[in-house]
Amino acid sequence: MTGLQIAQAIESTPLAVEIARSSWLFPLLETLHVLAIALVVGSIALLDIRLLGLGGMRRTVAEMMRSVLPWVWSAFVMAAICGALLFSSKATAYYVNLPFRFKFACLILAAANMLAFHYSGDVARWESRPPPVRARTAAAISLVLWISIVAAGRWIGFTT
Amino acid sequence: MLKHFCDWLADTSLSLLLSGTEWFVPAIQTIHILTLSVVVSVLAMLGFHLLRPARTSPPLNSSVTTYVPWVWVCLVILFVTGALLTITEPARELLNTAFRLKMLLVGVLIAMTAVLWSTVRRNGNYWTQNARRRLLGKAFAISLFVVCIGIVAAGRLIAYV
Repeated sequence: MTGLQIAQAIESTPLAVEIARSSWLFPLLETLHVLAIALVVGSIALLDIRLLGLGGMRRTVAEMMRSVLPWVWSAFVMAAICGALLFSSKATAYYVNLPFRFKFACLILAAANMLAFHYSGDVARWESRPPPVRARTAAAISLVLWISIVAAGRWIGFTT
Repeated sequence: MLKHFCDWLADTSLSLLLSGTEWFVPAIQTIHILTLSVVVSVLAMLGFHLLRPARTSPPLNSSVTTYVPWVWVCLVILFVTGALLTITEPARELLNTAFRLKMLLVGVLIAMTAVLWSTVRRNGNYWTQNARRRLLGKAFAISLFVVCIGIVAAGRLIAYV
């Protein structure tokens, strides 16, 4: 079964058909998706800016992680669920859409970067001023990826 | 009268230039969304502090002092990007009910942020000094969440109304 056939099968499911047909369900899911993305991107940006040593230096990295990470993971799950439902309603159109493919690739890389950071065990060393090169590199990569995700997400709306 | 203003604005050379540039609106919307994300996340974090003051570290006054200035800077960026988007498509924004609701909520958000800033700057323990203030803080936090959600929702609904 090809990817396009899988997309067609997803788009034919009763839930996907209902989301596509409904006048309020798609806008509602899109709103929840944007809200979740705003929380993910904003929270990660705060942490990345701290790791880059550009602001928020009065708080330790450990404090920021305690404040930010619960939001990030919860909002990420919400964004993923809403995103999957949105995808299902126009699966074939999104499947062939280049900005969507780029967004998805960046999401995978961003998630991998987040997991690598989360399990690095180096938090104590990242409190130094300036933060170590590895921390700043991870933060810069994270910011670039999430900015790309938002930009690609916006482009999807103009190309489907 | 507003319709006439929108028609006039849409005919200006700046509006025609911006609306004729294919990448401009998505690029400015991207900056707008990214900046709004920082505002929403900061206020969500501060609201969380107000909901659970005894269980968050560092103290609220430290977080407010650190992050509310970021909100002010982001609001300026949001105003500039929002103005550019309005100049590009005046009628889509100014004649839109969802846009007007969003602007009303943005005004409320600015006022609430100013209240949070001024209370904490006057008295670092303002929101935690007694049970009544802690309850007021929780109500304030929930209201702040509702306003933030409302702004994001209204912003998205502009495209549908």
